[in-house]
Order: sequence, then structure tokens, then C-alpha cells
Amino acid sequence: MLKVTGLETGYGRVQILRGLDMEVPQGRIVALLGGNGTGKSTMLRAVSGLIRVWNGQIEFNGERIDNKAPDQIVRRGLIQVTQGKDSYPSMTVEENLKVGAFTRSDKPGVARDLERVYDYFPVLKERRRQLAGTLSGGEVQMLVIGRGLMAAPKMMLLDEPSAALAPKVVLDIFANINRIARSGVTILVVEQNVRMALILASYAYIIRDGRILIEGDADDLMHDENVKMSFLGGTVADSSREYMS
Amino acid sequence: MDFDFTSLFAFILFGLTIGVVYGIVALGISLIYSGLDIVHFAHGEIYMFGAFFGLVFSEHMGVPYPLAILSAMVCTGLLGIVIERVFYRRLTRAGGGYTVAGMGMIICGFGMSVVLQNIAYLSWGADAEPFPVDLGEPFQFGDISLPKSYGLTAVIALLLMAVLHFFLKKTKIGLAVRAVAANKDIAFLMGINVPLMISLIFGLACALAAAAGVLIGPMQSVQVEMGYLMLMKAFAAAVVGGFGSLPGAIVGGLLVGIFENLGAAYISPNHKDIYAFLLLILVLMVRPSGLFGVEVRVKA
Amino acid sequence: MTTTTKGITALLAAGLVTGLAATALAGEIRIGVTMRMVSENGQKYGQMVVDEFDMINKAGGINGHTLDVTLLNDECKSDKGVANANKLIFQEKIHLLVGSTCSSVSLPIVDVTAKTKVPQIIPHSTNEKITQKGSAWVFRVPVSGRYYAGVNAKYVGENIGKKIAYLCAADAASQNDCEAMQAQMKSQFGAEAAYVAQVQEKEVDFRTHMQKIKSAGVDGIMIAALAETMARALVQSYEAGIPASVNRIGSSSASNSPVPAIAGDAAKGVFFTAAYAAADDRPIARLFNEMVRQRYGIHAPDHDFSQAYDLVRIVEIALGNADLKLDSANLAADRTAIRDAIANVKGYQGLASGPISFCAEATPQCRDGNRTAVLIAYTKGGKDYVTEVLARVTMPVDFGLK
Repeated sequence: MLKVTGLETGYGRVQILRGLDMEVPQGRIVALLGGNGTGKSTMLRAVSGLIRVWNGQIEFNGERIDNKAPDQIVRRGLIQVTQGKDSYPSMTVEENLKVGAFTRSDKPGVARDLERVYDYFPVLKERRRQLAGTLSGGEVQMLVIGRGLMAAPKMMLLDEPSAALAPKVVLDIFANINRIARSGVTILVVEQNVRMALILASYAYIIRDGRILIEGDADDLMHDENVKMSFLGGTVADSSREYMS
Repeated sequence: MDFDFTSLFAFILFGLTIGVVYGIVALGISLIYSGLDIVHFAHGEIYMFGAFFGLVFSEHMGVPYPLAILSAMVCTGLLGIVIERVFYRRLTRAGGGYTVAGMGMIICGFGMSVVLQNIAYLSWGADAEPFPVDLGEPFQFGDISLPKSYGLTAVIALLLMAVLHFFLKKTKIGLAVRAVAANKDIAFLMGINVPLMISLIFGLACALAAAAGVLIGPMQSVQVEMGYLMLMKAFAAAVVGGFGSLPGAIVGGLLVGIFENLGAAYISPNHKDIYAFLLLILVLMVRPSGLFGVEVRVKA
Repeated sequence: MTTTTKGITALLAAGLVTGLAATALAGEIRIGVTMRMVSENGQKYGQMVVDEFDMINKAGGINGHTLDVTLLNDECKSDKGVANANKLIFQEKIHLLVGSTCSSVSLPIVDVTAKTKVPQIIPHSTNEKITQKGSAWVFRVPVSGRYYAGVNAKYVGENIGKKIAYLCAADAASQNDCEAMQAQMKSQFGAEAAYVAQVQEKEVDFRTHMQKIKSAGVDGIMIAALAETMARALVQSYEAGIPASVNRIGSSSASNSPVPAIAGDAAKGVFFTAAYAAADDRPIARLFNEMVRQRYGIHAPDHDFSQAYDLVRIVEIALGNADLKLDSANLAADRTAIRDAIANVKGYQGLASGPISFCAEATPQCRDGNRTAVLIAYTKGGKDYVTEVLARVTMPVDFGLK
């Protein structure tokens, strides 16, 4: 569904991505893993059209989308969900969700999706008249994911949904991401929390210095000695799998 | 001088009627600030252009006064959009995104103010033009007479604020405008055409200034240099209310209007313009972010 | 080159040579003018000075000398005025400086002309300090503020009352008019001001002041401000409900046509002192009014037109009497000769309501040449305003000096 080939870009004259290749098949959850400053977020910004692509191609549903305007990419059903801190703190929860549906004009569909989001995240329904700035970190993360859903996406790009959240909250959010995926939305999740992401995803890429270092099925990577040594600290939390299924 | 309540009432009334006008200009300045991250120093001249457009429609073309206000708002709004597209956009973009609040933009604003003044000077000359609008006999409140134009000004200004409030809070485009004002990158990711919204914000702010110009015209006559004083007062109003806050701009405008009239009446009648800035300093001493300049606290 | 073009070039060259020879032979009198050319009327005052000098040239110049006039705009800004004066004196090497309109500009130029020893003749500025600086090089055609205040105060105290409120705008001329009037009311009638407010030069909102004045119950309001500001204040005084029985007294700029044009009905009854009244029925005044109407489309000329005209006539007389060499070696001598010739103008009778005379000493008595003020009232406002003359008063030479 999303295919990136030889992607090169950066900020100003500083090159960040040096020929990145990856692919996300339809209906799957794919993870892009790596530490700080490896180019994960840059990759998302390039796919969403927020920064210019220097070289390489980005295809979505078989169509070239590199260097298209961000709103054009959104209209094609490719939605990026940024980190929780990027809500609109001075708008109410419901207003935040409505901004997500900006590109849509089918009112009944929007109303249906709003109910769906409230169904996924009941706490948002409780707080729908509150300002987003008064929500807790986990609630805001739910809000931005919900906001992404409001655009009726074909595919969602999730930027570190677990960042700075308590483990219990992370589990809750990942469970919901799983639900969203099963409803037919393709998902690319960018994470630093490698262990959790490998449990969630079926396939994963590990990025370093703007290139893909390792790729493979999540299960294989989970048991790969190198990955274990470098990213997992030697242990795997199997219990969380039960919770999600 | 003797104190009496009739006079006090009159002074407050005068303050309110000029204050709403400061408020709508300040509203535009705050809109531009939150939408484009620029402090627009040419806004006084936009206000002056609005007043001249109103004069041309009402006096020279015989358009009825309320319609002249609307027409002036549309023309000035379009002028604002052209200015933003042709001149400001390159600058705001050069810094990366629309969020550079650099010196360049401020200088450009000053430059634009000089350019607009000279264009107005060439088009309409330096003489003040009377802008008589006959609305009939003044209202009488006991010993105070309030010309109908003041009442009309207050009503139209409040109406404009209500329409703007409805637009921002209840319409989809209004929501998008607020989204762009709050965070442009995220607005992009929501599929909002951010450049278009920025033009809309700028046009809207200019249209508001134009409305203020046409409202003030009949009270104070219209001339090329009228923008400076209004800009100063509107800036004071915007800062008093909290720069970037829309309700703050209106409240700031009313406070500046009332404060300067009471100051002139009871402290000293000389140089009443300093009271606006005295108020500004007092407010900033107590609340450095202005009255409504509250950051929403984000829980961790 | 073809023969025809050769011929034309030769012809041009010949013409150029004879032309140069002619001017070099006769010599030009270089006159620099700096005035406030910003408003429509402001431009016309400057234009009138240039047009009148042009007509002298068309009639054969002065003693065979052509007048070379350079007109600069100082926009009523003192820094521009001083820059203009320096440019005219050092680059254009003028023999005589005419300027300026605004008192705030004329004042610093007085220092420039005193230092560089260039005669300066003032067309419009009324601030009394201009001639009190002790410069031997300055001459004033308009009536000094000190005379105006005396006439105004005398009329107000005797006919209106002694309880007067003052609104004073921050420009130099209005400040001067306002202070002088208060001082005169005090010295002539022992009357203190009932209310005084200093306002911005371009103040737009007088409502609070008017409310205070209304409750103070005064006999009259003096509004000392430039034309447009005064017009706004007049309109707002009626809006505040101050009845027409409270007299509105204007400062000297009340004579400018934007006052009745902008103030409309609110101008009716406003009176002020000026050097010239369009309602003047002398034949010279009737002719002048008609000429200004035809040439500049002005309904009724104010005293800034008449003063511009009188200034040119006085300069014409003085230059006619001066013995000028007009070569670069004698520039300083010629300037001195022109100064002395202006100082010798006595009893000039022109548009001004009384005679204008100068003398040699560097004192206000000698250099405030015009001592006759006329009290004028608007009997109808609007663009087609009408005025009437209330009184004509010539003040003693020493009046208003400490």
C-alpha cells in the first residue's frame, strides 16, 4: 500500500535519510524502529509532504505522492498521527476530533465515525466538552489517534504512540491500535519502545543513520540475538500478548 | 472639578464607544499574530484604507452607509489578501514554515505602512475629508447627548464580534482557521489547505480594520495619517488583553477606551493618549502575559 | 550626419551660446522657497509664490534680472526644512530664502540663515519667537502671534466674557496661540483659564474634554489647533451638546478653508483673527479673490494666499531697490544688499489689512512688519462658506513684548 524507494531528504543542507527503502502491505501493522535521531520522524514528515523529498519515490496505492501538498496526501487517505503533545490544547476534545474530519463533507459518515472514536475511547466521550489542554498524557494520545480516525483513513502513520506514557496506558492504546488495524486500516507505527512495537506489528524495519539496518517478521526479530542485544535488553514481555488478542 | 454621576456615566459611555472600535482593530492584529506569527505594523494604514473605501462608496458613489461598511470590508479584505500573498508570504516562508517571527517581517510591516500611506496620499491627497452620515438627532440620556453614530458604532462593532465568534466557533472553516492559528504543521496533517486559511485570516483581519475605519470616519473625518494613533491604541488594547487572545483584544479595547477617558476627566486632561500606555504598563506589571494571555496548562 | 541634422545642431548650439551669454550678462537672482506642500491648499500656497515670481520674469524681470526660483517641500517637518535651507544656501547659492509655512520649521531655519547670512522672509509662520531670536536676517510678512492674541483677548473680554476654556493642540503655532491668549486674558482682564487641556496635534476624540467644558459652564471655548483638528473639535463640541451661545474662538489656523469645509455647520459663529479677510471690500481684495478663484479654484482665499502674494510684492520692491552685482564673487554682498533693501520697505499697502513696514534693527519691533489683525467670523460653514469682518485692529509696535 505504501512503498518507499531510495528516499533521501533532510533539513536545510543536513541530510537525514540516505536512501531509505521500505514497504507497508495493505491491512498490516508494520513497525519502524530506532533510537533518537535516526530519521524516523523525518521519514514520516517526508511521506506526509511536510518536507521536500530530495531523491527517491513514495508511492501510495500505486500513485506517486512524493512532494505533493500535505492536504492532497490527506485527501488520498494517508493520515499521520503525531505525538500526543500535538493536540490543539485550547480547543475542546470534540472540536479536536472535528478538525480531523476537515477534508470530509459526508455529515452522516462523520457523525458515525465520531461515535466509533467514542466507542474506542470512552474517556473522550466523557470529556468531549473539556479543553484538550486539560487531558492527561494518555488521554491526549487517544485524542490524536481518534482525530486521525476522523479523517476516515486508508492508512495511518503513528508517531511514537507510547512516548512518555505509563506502561498500563501504553497497553490500552496499543490494544486500540490493534482494533483499528482489524477494522481494515493499514498501519505504520514508528516507535522507540521496540519490545511493545514488535508485539503489535507483524513486520518491522529497524532504522539507523537514515538507512534500514535490519528488517523482518516481528516474531523473527523478537528472537534475533542481535536485536535482543541491541534493543530489547534480553527479555520479552509475553504477558502483554494475551491482553491484546 | 465637581464629581457627579451623570458625567461619570458620560465618560464611561465615551470610553466604551471608542473602545469597541479599538477592540475590532486589536482583534485583527491579534488574529494576524496568532495566524501568521507576525506583528503587523501596517495595520493602521489598512484601517485608513478601509475608511477611504467607505468614504468613496458612501460619499462619491451614494451607497447607503451600512452597505458602504460591507463594501469597504470586502475591498480592504481583498487588498489585504493581495498584500499577504505578494509580499508577506515570501518572507514568512523564507524562515521555514510560517512561523518565523523575525526582524525582517517587522521591517517589512513598517515599509508596507509607508508604501500604503504614500499610495493613499497620491490617490486622495493629504487633506482630511469630512464623512458626514446623517443619522438624525442624538440620543439624550438626561444631560448627556450621544450622537446616533456612537450608538451605531457600538452596535455594529458588537455585531461584527458576534459574527466572528460564530464563524470561529461554529463553522467548519472557522475551526480550520483556529487549527491553523494554533499549529500549522498539524493543520497540514489534518488536510487543511494552510496557505488558503492564512490568506483568509489576513483578509478577515483587514476587513475588521476597514469596518473600524468606516465607523470612525463620520466621527473624526478621514485622512491619510489617521492610522498611526489607531495602531498605537489597538496595540495597547491587544497587549492589555493578552497578545493573540481574541476575547482579550475586545476587553483590552474597551479598557483602553474607558481608562483614557476617565484619566482625561479625573487625573489630568492633558495628553490623554498616555493613559492607554499607563494602563498597559500597569497590566503588564501585574500580569506579564496580559489579562487573557493564559497558557492552557497541560497535565503530564 | 546628414546636412539637415547638422544644420539643426548648429542652430541649437548658436541658440544655446546666445542664451548663456544673455543670462551671464544680466545675472539671475536666485530665490529658494521651502514650504509645507502637503495638503491641497499647502501646495497652492507654494504654487502661488512660484507663479507670481514667474509673472515678474514674463514681464521682463527686475532691473533686467531674471528670477530663478527653486521650490522645495518641507512637509511641515523641521528636519526637512533645515535640510532644504542648507541645500538651497550651499548648493543653489540662493540670494534670498522664502520660508516656511509652519512655525516649527521656520524657527530652526532662522538659526541657519543667521549663521550663513542669507536674508529670510517668512510667508506664514506666526510664532512670536521667530523674530525674538535677534537675527538680523529674518523678516515676517504675517502678523505675529503676540498681536493676534492681544486683539483676540480684547474682543473676547469685552464682548463674550471672561470665563474661557482652552483646548490646545501640540503643534508649535497652536501652543503659541493658546499660551498667548491665556496670558493676554490674564493681563488685560485678570481672567484665569476656566479649563485647559493639551491634546495631540492630530487628536481625534474630544468628547471627554467637551463634557467637562459643558459642565464647567463657560462663556467661550478657544480651540487652538491646526485646521483639521480644529474642525473635528468644533463638530464634537456641538455633538456634546454645548449650545451655540457658548462662543467658539479659533486660533490663527481657523482661517484655513478646511475648517469650514470639514466642520460644516459647526463652523458657523466661529471667530478668529487673521491678516486678511476674504470679505474685505477693497477693490484690490475683490480682484485678488477673483484671481485666486480662477487660478486655483479656491472659493474664498484665506490669509495664507494673501500673505504669499504680499510676500512676492515686498520682495519685488526690495529687489528693485537693491544694487546687485550677481556674480559669484559678490554673493555675500548681494545677500546683504537684499537684506537692507527689505529692511527699507516702509508702508507697503497690499492685501494685508494694514500697512507693512520693516526697519534695520534685529528686533521684533522692526521685523514683525504687519501689525494689523482683522477679526473674522464664519456666518456659514461648508465648502461654500461665508465670512464677515467683525473688527480691524492695528496694535502698537511693542505690544506683547516683555
